[in-house]
Formats: sequence, structure tokens, C-alpha cells
Amino acid sequence: MNLTFYDKIFKPREYVLPNGKKAYKKASRAPIYAILILAMSALSVKITGFDMEVLVSRIGQFFVILGEMFPPNADYMPKIWEPLFDTIKMSLLGSVVGALLSVPFAMLASTNVCPSKIIVSVMRVMFSLIRTLPTIVIALVATLVFGLGTLAGTVAIAVFSFGYIGKLTYEEIETVDMGAFEAMQAMGATRSEAFISAIVPQVLPFYLSNCLFNFEGNVRYAAVLGYVGAGGIGLILNEKISWREYPSVGMILVALFVTVFIIETVSRALRKKLV
Amino acid sequence: MIKFENVGKVYPNGFEGLKDINLEIEQGEFVAIIGLSGAGKSTLIRTINRMHDVTSGKLTVDGVDVMSLSGKTLRRFRRKIGMIFQSFNLITRTTVIKNVLTAFVPDMPWYRSAFGIYTKEEKIKALECLDKVGILDKAFVRADQLSGGQQQRVALARTLAQNPQIILADEPVAALDPVTANQVMGDFKRINEDMNITILINIHHIDLALKYANRVIGIREGKIVFDGPAKGTQWDEVLDNIYVGKVDREGNLQEEG
Repeated sequence: MNLTFYDKIFKPREYVLPNGKKAYKKASRAPIYAILILAMSALSVKITGFDMEVLVSRIGQFFVILGEMFPPNADYMPKIWEPLFDTIKMSLLGSVVGALLSVPFAMLASTNVCPSKIIVSVMRVMFSLIRTLPTIVIALVATLVFGLGTLAGTVAIAVFSFGYIGKLTYEEIETVDMGAFEAMQAMGATRSEAFISAIVPQVLPFYLSNCLFNFEGNVRYAAVLGYVGAGGIGLILNEKISWREYPSVGMILVALFVTVFIIETVSRALRKKLV
Repeated sequence: MIKFENVGKVYPNGFEGLKDINLEIEQGEFVAIIGLSGAGKSTLIRTINRMHDVTSGKLTVDGVDVMSLSGKTLRRFRRKIGMIFQSFNLITRTTVIKNVLTAFVPDMPWYRSAFGIYTKEEKIKALECLDKVGILDKAFVRADQLSGGQQQRVALARTLAQNPQIILADEPVAALDPVTANQVMGDFKRINEDMNITILINIHHIDLALKYANRVIGIREGKIVFDGPAKGTQWDEVLDNIYVGKVDREGNLQEEG
């Protein structure tokens, strides 16, 4: 048995069988990680200037604003419909476009499908780069390119979905059982024929499920995109908060909550059937 | 006819998989290849359809030099060689008949395979192949709901659907219980006799090899150390040589020392 420095301090537990043979279970490494996490947390409190006093003394203000939102201003509802549907349209279209575009690139990023290591690494770096860009930054750039409005928001969401679905898909492709792929190749199929027949059926349910989950999340992201002028419900949300019309803000939030709730419920039910 | 002439295979890491293999296998033979794990049985079988490359010597199938093939000619060549795997290699998430239908994919336009559109003729042919291995009633069941023996038969039906002249089987019964293994070996035997398909089978069960095959080839450390008929051979000495003295005729390990 190999004893590391750690094992010499914290002795392995010994089990002795009636016949005198012994088995050893090494001591858990968990305490090291627990200490590390605690130390990092303490450090972050120091760096970020987290102040418990301010938190306690100002938390009341939060409830004051929340209180002002009630009762929500129901008369404002007719003006919410359009931006709300814009938000849903943006997220739906963006999610679909991004998810479809990501498939060929996800194939090229999978080591078991793409024979070239260079292409695989290039694709992976591209996916990581895209996921590093916060959606709000992409939206901001998109408004500069395509002008203010929902097109910019749609592009931002499509780019985010591309990176997100692409990464999940190539990881899914890599865990696939390659046996059927090998069998297809042995039968004289090309790599793409083998991919379509042997890998797609294994990956498809997860892919669709990820697409739905992505769409769910995008409805929430899309609500914020209005802040940078990329259209949707965020536009009026920003406006009403700046004007301190809290009852209208309350109405917007209620509408958003109900929408997100409905979409999430439907999506969850569908995903359950898929996987 | 499959012909190995001084064939050798060196893996990129320097390991010698096959050494100076000379072998002639006529159309319609049923050959069992036995030997320890790592002796080169899989490598030998997989060079025939070029799933593995040979690095020296010459390997011809029906007069065609296997190493001269590439791209389209290689894929067309593979169409006439079926392959059966230890782990069945089925598409588990889909139905049995769809698995068999994949045998037609290489001859179809891509949009048909992409959307899984098959003609009535193809479907009937797939069902006939399932009937030949006795699992017609499972045609529309999901493949992962079948037992191991049934799954191996689906794989066999898939191979039959491509109308092969040769079937290469890489330890087809290693994952099966003895009764099922016997049944599957029986299927191979029937296919071999009824359709005159050459069968090369890698197998660890010596009793099954002797019972079903006509010819047995023993491999040890990449070399052929025995090649003869299954019947009428003095097996004890031969097995001693193939398995380096570790196994008796019933396949039991000998206690060392």
C-alpha cells in the first residue's frame, strides 16, 4: 500500500479478518477541502468589503420598495403584452437558431467523431470563448451592429444558445456508446452515415431536453436584455424603475413570473417524457 | 478466399500484434480462432475488413489486396463482410427492425437515412433476416429490452441484411450464458451451411469451438501455433501449446506448480 504524507499523519483504518488478513481504508481527504473552502470564503469577505452592518441596517429598504409594488397596477397590463411577447419571441427564435447552428460544430468538437485533434481543439476554444461572453455584453454589441430592438436581442440569445447547447451536445456525444458507430463503419458506412444512424438516436433525447432547458432560461435572460436596448420587457422594466412607478413594476414582475412559470412547467413536463 | 502472406502488424506504440501470418481460408469454411486474451485474435480478424491495418506482408480477399483499398473502394469492399461484436453494438435506444435496417444505410441517399425513411422492400428484407435467426416476433420491440442472446441475434440479422460473403465474429458469445451461447453458435453454423458464408469466429470456449467449427486456428503471441481440423486432433498437447500450459480440454485452468 502506498502511504502519502497525509496518510502518515492520519492513519488508515485497519480491518482485520478472522484469518489474520488485513484490509486498509485510507483516511478521508474531505477535511483538507473543507479548510480550503473556508479559507477562500474568509478571503473573499475581506476582498469584496462585505459588510454585515450595512446589510442589516439597509435590508428594510428592500421591503419598503417591495411593499410599494403592491398592489400591482392592473391598468398598466395592456401596455405589457407587446414587450412580453417580444421577449418570448426573442428567446424562442434565438434558442432555435442557436441550437440548430451548434450541431455541426458540436460534431467537430467531439473526439470520438472528428478524427482531427486540431479541429477539435479549435472548436472547443471557440465554444469556451463564446460562453465566456456574458449575454448582456453580446446584446450590447448587437445593438451597436443591428440597432436598438428585438433583432439585437435575438442575436444575443442565439449566440448564447449556440455556446451553451454546443458544449452540452459535444459532451453528450462523447459519452455515447461507440459500438454501433463501429458496427456501421464495419458495414461500409461513411463517418457521417454512421453518425446519423448510430449516434443521433442516442443523443437526440438529451439534445432536445437541453434545448428546452435553454429556452426556459433564455426567457429570463431576455427579460434583462431590454436594459441595453435590445428589446423586450426589460425596456419598460428599466423605464418604470427609473421613474419609481413601483406599482407598474410590480405588474410587470407578476406578468413575467406567470409567463416563466408556465413555460417552465410545460418544459419540465416535456423533458420528463424525453429522457 | 482469404489469403494471408507473411502478414505482420506492428502497432504505433511498437507492440507486435501479428507476426508472419500465413493462412488460406476458402469460401464457406467455419473457422474458430482460439488463444489467450491479447494473443492477437481480434487483431487478426479485424485486419480482414481493414478495421486494423497490416504493416507488412500481403492480405488478399478474393484476389483484392486489402491494403490497396481506401475511401469508397474500401467501403464497398466492407459491404460484403459482416461483423459481429462481443457487446452486440446495437443502437439500444431504437427498435430491433431499425437496427437491422441500418444495414441498408450505406447504399441509400443521405436524406433517407437522416429521416429514417425505408422502402417497403427494405423492411420486408429486414423482417426476413430477423425470421432467419428466429426473432421475428421481437421486430418492433426496443433493442435494449431484449436479452443478451436475443440482442446478438439482432446483430446477426443486421449482418445478414447486408448479404455478406464473410462474417467476422469477435468473441460473439463471451457475454452470453452457456445455453444461449450454444444457441447462437448453432445460428452461426446454420448460416454457414445454408448460405455458404465463410465464418471466422474468435472464441474463448474451447468446447464450443470444437463442437461447431470445421477448422481451428490457435494463436499465441501474434503467431499461428496450430491450424487443423476440429475433429481428429490430439487436443491436449495442442491446447498446451496454444495456452502455454494453462488450460485443459474442458477449458479449466490448470493449477500451477
